[in-house]
Amino acid sequence: MLDIPVNETVTLADLTRDPYPIYRQMRAQTPVVRVAQTNRIFVTRFEHTKWIKENPEIFSSDDPMTPMKPAFQAHTLMRKDGDEHRAERMAMQPAFSPKVIRTDWADLYTKLAEDYVSRLPKGETVDLFSDLCGPIAARILAHMLGLEEATDEQMQRWSQRLIDGAGNFGNDPELFALSDAANAEMNALFEQVMPRHIAEPNNSAFSVMLNAKTPIPIRQMYANIKIAIGGGINEPRDALATILYGLLTNPEQLDEVKRQDAWLDAFEEGVRWVAPIQVSGRRTTQEVQIGDHVIGPNETVMTIQASANRDEAVYADGEAFNVFRDKHPHQAFGSGPHHCAGAQVARRTLGQIMLPLLFERFPNMALTDPHEVIWSGFGFRGPLNLPITLA
Amino acid sequence: MTKITFVQPDGRSQTVSARVGDSVMQTALAHSIDGIFAECGGAMMCATCHCYVEDARTGQASQGEEDLLDCAEDEVRPSSRLSCQIKVTEDLDGLVVHLPVAVD
Repeated sequence: MLDIPVNETVTLADLTRDPYPIYRQMRAQTPVVRVAQTNRIFVTRFEHTKWIKENPEIFSSDDPMTPMKPAFQAHTLMRKDGDEHRAERMAMQPAFSPKVIRTDWADLYTKLAEDYVSRLPKGETVDLFSDLCGPIAARILAHMLGLEEATDEQMQRWSQRLIDGAGNFGNDPELFALSDAANAEMNALFEQVMPRHIAEPNNSAFSVMLNAKTPIPIRQMYANIKIAIGGGINEPRDALATILYGLLTNPEQLDEVKRQDAWLDAFEEGVRWVAPIQVSGRRTTQEVQIGDHVIGPNETVMTIQASANRDEAVYADGEAFNVFRDKHPHQAFGSGPHHCAGAQVARRTLGQIMLPLLFERFPNMALTDPHEVIWSGFGFRGPLNLPITLA
Repeated sequence: MTKITFVQPDGRSQTVSARVGDSVMQTALAHSIDGIFAECGGAMMCATCHCYVEDARTGQASQGEEDLLDCAEDEVRPSSRLSCQIKVTEDLDGLVVHLPVAVD
């Protein structure tokens, strides 16, 4: 058994700029390593990250001390385990189920996507990240949650404030003031729409929770909706931007995707290549061995799914975007009890609706210059801009 | 060793040796059976290992399993189960598992 190696050099700034060469080196040399600057143990190999997520008794999500609690003004299901987590998650899961997507959402989302795409000016150059990827993700989520009254701007702003607050490990009071203000706006809207969802039950998440046979407490419904707002906009936004970048910088693959109608494969490859959520934290409940190393209890382990998704042991040339690679399940949606509740919705809205629609309307769209695209992020990652000429 | 037969909607079938103690889902993954995805890895959270089993030896679905089956992609029948919730025992030798039709 070996001591856990310590990496003194890697900084959060390095990881935010481009983590992939760092992860590649970690997978090869130090697959279990304490990163001194964060005082967290990074786990970067596919087999380890998957195993950690699937063993919640050893690797708990329960951590009421993270800034998530003040940011969301609640201890949320993301930070719970076992029956408590299951009860809260299952309270809203029906709204995201494949069945309800088929019966309720598919037609509506197609219409919304057509609406948003038709507003884009053909022949002009726009930033598709801010003009499409963000707003359509916000609109679709607003409907799914039962918050049609919220504007795209509100949904995106609330989401960002919650994320900023949840990542506020330095306890900056300014960030919590902003998340508090967002919470107040959200709470007011929830109160406003609640009577409608009770009077007219529907398949939105809020209505499903309110009209359940044994409803969870209202405050947990609020917390659930906020989790969905905090976690349901930037992922589809970043996934769409990433997939578009991958396809537009690999035109021969794009041609083949069009020919085969392989949009779902393009979706899976995009989220494998750059997972919108790159990292998840777990707390050890006991002493446990990972690879060659023994880790003590109460350590924070970061499972790096971004790295697992490029692991040489699983993927040939995993650093490259290749829609037509040999298929292997990826970990972009995680695994275990906290497996992404929005996975099926994301596949359908992006892979079956948005991608084919967008390329049908703008078959010759092109990035003005791939080098202008700025990638950023350690916890969440994607392009920050996507300048595209629509043709 | 327990033999389990997986039958695809088109009638193709494959009989494999299952390890006692694994789940039917793990058995399917180990033998690359089409139609079982098991995205959540057996946490009873995704309903992507849905199958049909008409065999009393496998017992009844729990309430939690029933709740998830309501979220399954494919047609849910009285024989619907999540294969991650069926544990392979020596008693299950000869079990027949039908895979659902993919709905798209």
